[in-house]
Amino acid sequence: MSDVSSPKAPGTADHLMFRILPHLVLFAVLLLIWEMAVRTGIITSIIIPAPSKIIGAIWELYVTKGTIYRHFFITFTEAVVGFAIGAGVAVTLAVCSALWDPFKRYVSPYAIVLNVTPGIALTPIIIAWFGYGMGSKIALAAVISFFPIFVNTLTGLIQRDEDREELFRSIGATDAQIFRKLRVPAALPLLFAGLKIGLTTALIGAVVAEFAQATDGVGVLMSRFSFQLNMAASLATLLSMTVIGLILFYSMEFLDDRIVFWRRESRGAAASRAKARAWKSRMGQ
Amino acid sequence: MNVMASQPSKTDSVVGAQGLGKTFGGGAVVALEDASFDIRPGSFVSLVGPSGCGKSTLLRLIAGLIERTSGNLQVHGKEVTDPRTDVGMMFQKATLLDWRTAVENVLLPTEVSRAVTKEDQKNAAELLRMVGLKDFLFAFPSQLSGGMQQRVALARLLQTGADVLLLDEPFGALDEFTRERLNVELMRIVKEVQATTLFVTHNIAEAIFLADQVFVMTPRPGRIAKIVDVPFDRPRPLSIQTSPEFNTLVAEVRDILGEDH
Ligand SMILES: Nc1ncnc2c1ncn2[C@@H]1O[C@H](COP(=O)(O)OP(=O)(O)OP(=O)(O)O)[C@@H](O)[C@H]1O
Ligand SMILES: [Mg+2]
Repeated sequence: MSDVSSPKAPGTADHLMFRILPHLVLFAVLLLIWEMAVRTGIITSIIIPAPSKIIGAIWELYVTKGTIYRHFFITFTEAVVGFAIGAGVAVTLAVCSALWDPFKRYVSPYAIVLNVTPGIALTPIIIAWFGYGMGSKIALAAVISFFPIFVNTLTGLIQRDEDREELFRSIGATDAQIFRKLRVPAALPLLFAGLKIGLTTALIGAVVAEFAQATDGVGVLMSRFSFQLNMAASLATLLSMTVIGLILFYSMEFLDDRIVFWRRESRGAAASRAKARAWKSRMGQ
Repeated sequence: MNVMASQPSKTDSVVGAQGLGKTFGGGAVVALEDASFDIRPGSFVSLVGPSGCGKSTLLRLIAGLIERTSGNLQVHGKEVTDPRTDVGMMFQKATLLDWRTAVENVLLPTEVSRAVTKEDQKNAAELLRMVGLKDFLFAFPSQLSGGMQQRVALARLLQTGADVLLLDEPFGALDEFTRERLNVELMRIVKEVQATTLFVTHNIAEAIFLADQVFVMTPRPGRIAKIVDVPFDRPRPLSIQTSPEFNTLVAEVRDILGEDH
């Protein structure tokens, strides 16, 4: 980091190329071996299609026909809405539990029972309750993303920092101020860790519910292709789930980076500059 | 140490204690016993003594962070019951908030008592300048060295506007050079803001160098064994530590503390 002036400093295009190139080469070699294995009949193409077939299916699904987009959008929405509901409930309950001891005493047993029950096992019940549409997918996503968020947030909120609390008390802060200005910010890193797990879990919930019973969504599309033994299309559909997963994870990572900036060495300088600008514009007027 | 015999007039005393005591665990641990003293306005008092002799306990009593179990304690003539705005405390750990810039950390005491004004912000910036951090207003704690973090904590203490400053081994975790420099600056700063200061340390020379009065404390039970007056004017040069008078005082304090110091 210190040597910014050198031509191969980290982060430059040069450096990036240098790092990515070996991966690309390795990946290409693997694909080539795979392709050969299928063409020579070492692997049966019914079970594992050749890379060229998969690329063909991707081309069809994503470019020429564009079938995937509607399903992609539906699954994406289910996961995000489910996550939002799960996270909302989880954070609310965690805050209530942290603020009010009896609440924690009466809520945490249910949270624990819910945790040891495999959330996915609720799929048939949830479909019976919410039907074949998006409702049941959202509900399952919400249920299984709830727990990791609840536990992480609560753990973050109840950790005590005796030294800083004593400082707050010495300047006459109220319990509410200690909560807002100390305990909440101190819990943010754990909250975000929970949100990241929850978001990934929400996508699993949405897709599993689609597998079970649905008319739209990438999960349905994928099971349909599999039933037709169209493995190439099935794998091409899987790719879209990976893409949804990546989009969700990195948006959360982005937020984490900005909001919990003090945990990231690399964000400190930028945050300092932003604070300095804000201060100057306030004091300057 | 007879309270009645030596009690000065109330106006003369910023912090006054009579037979002050604190026990923990329902009387099992006597952290502080029968402490009586009066601290003059603007004076600098060092508390020195081995671990467990009740130094932190005495400071936390004055800060209103813990309740006394016996005796009386007044600050500015008013009984201490709760943390108050005229008393501020600083700890061995900087206890800064990682998500706040230096200047935002300094503003915390103001923020918990009322809405922050532009004047407060200017004052906070000025205090950071006073402790030598004028180029670090917007630095986050993780970007500051241990010594710089304690400077921010000192500025935050001054921002409270308290005129009784309680410092519990504030530079104890820092290296020798940094500590010595900060001690000199502290002496200048408390003079500048005309605060009454109680300063805890393990170091006898440091205690004497900084103070008008040294409370020499001994453990089990925690007591103030003797109050030693330091006759030199403040602020003083570092070189005073080599003078014979200074070393006589060091010997006197060491004598009271006995073998283990
Ligand atoms: N909250 C507490 N509960 C129980 N005992 C305590 C508590 N605080 C302090 N004590 C005890 O009171 C005695 C005095 O403690 P205190 O912290 O005042 O000592 P100190 O002089 O500050 O020591 P040090 O130099 O190690 O900081 C010790 O025996 C300690 O164990
Ligand atoms: Mg102590």
